[in-house]
Amino acid sequence: MKENVAEFLRRTILKIPLSEMKSILEAWDFLSEDQLQTINLKQRKDYLAQEVILLCEDKRASLDDVVLLDIVYTQFHRHQKLWNVFQMSKEPGEDVDLFDMEQFQSSFKRILQRALKNVTVSFRVYEKDSVWIRVAWGTQYSQPNQYKPTFVVYYPQTPYAFISSCHLKNTVPLLHQALKVASKHHQIVHLDLRSRHLDSLKAIVFREYNQTCENYSSTTSLQEASLSMCLDSKITHENTEEKVRVHRVTQETFGTYPQPQLEFAQYKLETKFKSNIGGGLLADRKEPFRCLVKFSSPHLLEALKSLAPAGIADAPLSPLLTCIPSKKMNYFKIRDK
Amino acid sequence: MDSCDFRGLTSRRRTSNLKNYFVGATPLQKRLELVRRQNSDFPSPSRRKIPQCSQLQEDIDPQKVAFLLHKQWTIYSLTPLYKFSYSNLKDYSRLLSAFIVAEKQKGVAVEVGEDFNIKVIFSTLLGVKGTQRDHEAFLVQILSKSQSSREHREDKVLWTGWFCCVFGESLQETVSEDFTCLPLFLANGAESNTSLIRDWFQKTFDCCFSPLAISAFNLSWMAAMWTACKMDRYMATTEFLWSVPCSPQSLDISYAIHPEDAKALWESVHKTPGEVTQEEVDLFMNCLYSHFHRHFKIHLAATRLVRVSTSVASAHTDGKIKVSLNRSN
Repeated sequence: MKENVAEFLRRTILKIPLSEMKSILEAWDFLSEDQLQTINLKQRKDYLAQEVILLCEDKRASLDDVVLLDIVYTQFHRHQKLWNVFQMSKEPGEDVDLFDMEQFQSSFKRILQRALKNVTVSFRVYEKDSVWIRVAWGTQYSQPNQYKPTFVVYYPQTPYAFISSCHLKNTVPLLHQALKVASKHHQIVHLDLRSRHLDSLKAIVFREYNQTCENYSSTTSLQEASLSMCLDSKITHENTEEKVRVHRVTQETFGTYPQPQLEFAQYKLETKFKSNIGGGLLADRKEPFRCLVKFSSPHLLEALKSLAPAGIADAPLSPLLTCIPSKKMNYFKIRDK
Repeated sequence: MDSCDFRGLTSRRRTSNLKNYFVGATPLQKRLELVRRQNSDFPSPSRRKIPQCSQLQEDIDPQKVAFLLHKQWTIYSLTPLYKFSYSNLKDYSRLLSAFIVAEKQKGVAVEVGEDFNIKVIFSTLLGVKGTQRDHEAFLVQILSKSQSSREHREDKVLWTGWFCCVFGESLQETVSEDFTCLPLFLANGAESNTSLIRDWFQKTFDCCFSPLAISAFNLSWMAAMWTACKMDRYMATTEFLWSVPCSPQSLDISYAIHPEDAKALWESVHKTPGEVTQEEVDLFMNCLYSHFHRHFKIHLAATRLVRVSTSVASAHTDGKIKVSLNRSN
């Protein structure tokens, strides 16, 4: 094993938390069951890394093998990356081709390798419906940097791909080109939708988030819910009717299913300043009032859902906020009509 | 708005009563009255004068002031210092550095000959005050002496703190001459050093430090007054950060306004020449709430303002402030 490959393997092992070491090495599927049994998982990580390196040297591990371990690690830790969503489209009237994984992979690799001499492209099919692509970038004169790769997750037979934020801006168009051509599409657009939660992004673009108990809105269950709400608080609300209305509207807007997980939404507002207090301040000003509003939360949509019931927002909440999953966007530019 | 007017009037009336009372009162009585005043529901001033440039600014050492800018300071309130003397700054430097070295060596097995290369410097910050009667501000720095004495390298600053008083004459009136009122202490550097310095000051000058939180009420005052400042150029947006106490997930809302637009709004709100009033601050904030509500249907007034930042300065409710730029004249 080359020195740089051993070093790459060592650093990858060091990244893996000890609690996940066993499952990640198993998922990697490079070392045999017997070999895995011999590894002492209760020692210091740098000794453990050394042990794994020795086993891999016996099996003559190549760079490609170690890269696969890095993909497995990233699959376990996909929330550590910020994912961008891309939507591709075909020419109108064009036939849907049958997807051939081997053809896709070789075509993707060829496009990148033709443009850049030094590039490592690797693939791993994941849970049968997606392919993970890892690209390590080099230049004409330098070897690919294995420590700052870009990840692409593509769902064959769909127009959607998710790409981790890339530090090399000039490689982005090339990546789009490879993806578009290999998957036989004609256009690729960047949706204004970003999150660390790849699974939630996937749920949003494939509209999978509302599949469970979608038709839960029968009057009986609503009344029960509001009744229990009153009992819980042990307070008689004068505005019970309003509470029930807020509850109902919130449920109509957000549904009863768990919301997909996003961490932020951003709105660039360039609208005319209007305020119903102070008697038409800035009313004569022609220029828009420019501001940038950012919402951030560990679980944005659940937080927004709780605003109206908590009395912090009106019910229904603004469509600007509630349209996030349906519009597949969390970056907006708002102007007056 | 009516209630604000009422509150403003009472506060002014009460202040003048207090002034009459103070004539001929002993420092102790004054101090007791001050404590009572602070404990009672004493409202914040309903109007504040916009400070004009004074001859004080001529005393300012621009290099020293530049040193205070662009740093994040954690602020503390400080009771008056007993028997503090500006003529003893050199002695204080020596005593405090000996104290720090002793504290750092406590319980540590020190190799013979190993030197804690630490130096403490006290120096005055001329002109950093509101009126001539305010005490001079002073600066304390902990430096690490450079190892190679041959090279004339600059000492590295490990920790900085300063003590100041701006428009604090009413405080000074309440204490006897043995006390020096510098009610604000600002620290930048490792927490462990801050606590050492606090220990030494508490022991030496019989004073007491307490962390100073900035209420949402005061944050909106700061936002309004900083937005009102004339700047040569606007580097940063006027940004408000609200924290929404909703369960099960917390939510932060940042509302960043183009500085020119924030200024335009302020100018349409601001009517009283030479001062800023509570009504104006309320109107400014309410306008921003209203514009926000029109778009998002969220009532920001029901949430908690935790940070404001402008081209001039920024402040966080947990008592952290940063001053970025000088006012243009």
